[in-house]
Amino acid sequence: MAMGGPRYFEDFDVGTALAVLEKGPLTSAHLMRWSAAMENWHKIHYDKPFAIEHDKLPGLLINGSLKQQFILQLLKDWVGPTGWVWKASFQFRAMNVVGETLSVWGRVSAKRDGPAYGLVDIDLGITNDEGKESTPGKATLALPYRGGKPVPYPFVPPQS
Amino acid sequence: MALLTEALKKYIGLQSETETACDPVERGAVRRYAQAIQDEDPIFREACPNNARFGGPVAPPLYPTHLFRRAFGAPDPLQERARDPDFDGLASAASSGLPELEPIKHLALLNGGSEIEFFRYARHGETVKLRSRYADIVEKETSKGPMLFVIIETEYRNGDDELLMKTRRTQIRR
Repeated sequence: MAMGGPRYFEDFDVGTALAVLEKGPLTSAHLMRWSAAMENWHKIHYDKPFAIEHDKLPGLLINGSLKQQFILQLLKDWVGPTGWVWKASFQFRAMNVVGETLSVWGRVSAKRDGPAYGLVDIDLGITNDEGKESTPGKATLALPYRGGKPVPYPFVPPQS
Repeated sequence: MALLTEALKKYIGLQSETETACDPVERGAVRRYAQAIQDEDPIFREACPNNARFGGPVAPPLYPTHLFRRAFGAPDPLQERARDPDFDGLASAASSGLPELEPIKHLALLNGGSEIEFFRYARHGETVKLRSRYADIVEKETSKGPMLFVIIETEYRNGDDELLMKTRRTQIRR
């Protein structure tokens, strides 16, 4: 759940880590609930015999579509109510299976001044209980200056 | 290039028609979605100070991408393929309004990742529409053999034609 008030561009430095968002342990019921919510019936997320015997997978796979939701939650909550998540990208490099607890992490990699707001580049990813990375990615966030206006909504990208 | 045939190259640049989601952004559907992703942020629930600048309650950021579902009266793939032991539960590899890539429809599909740009949230009550194109199809030799990387770009807009988000998705086919 979103917490706290506005976050300002001046409030942190390059290298700052975002508070880790933990999800799990994720059970087959969590995956079934997500499949139902988005009406996607791919069996590898809820039919264990099909996943293992037919598709030769190690278990029920945690949906990539669910993992990307967790990344967006991390970013949205960190920018706060007056910032904006402009861009996010990620690759699904490794599987996560039922029973794992996922830790969604982010770290500020760069800060750039703009005329109306500041831009913050983030390195991010998702690790499991063993620390294995599955979903490396990047994001660019827009944050207001302290004493300045909120980031415009709808979002207007900077002129490049 | 074994997989990237001339017949397949013809799909590069192909653009879909505009497709409108069968349902608008419904509060109950947003609740189920928010609970499923375990993010019960008040901005998704009802009007509150933190969604005032968005014009009221909104759906989670990626919600528009999951709003394109089977409409009333559309064929039911679960029943049509109920006796097929190889049916994996997915209707087809086609997505985002685009036709299936016929030359490679037998190949397995993996979600390779996404690049997403956000401009505004979808609000409760709004309709959402999309338009997509096959931006590129590339073949790469990997340690697991040849693979195709299919790049699909999609724009999502609300009923007033205002841009909500853009996605650039990579599907891996092998």
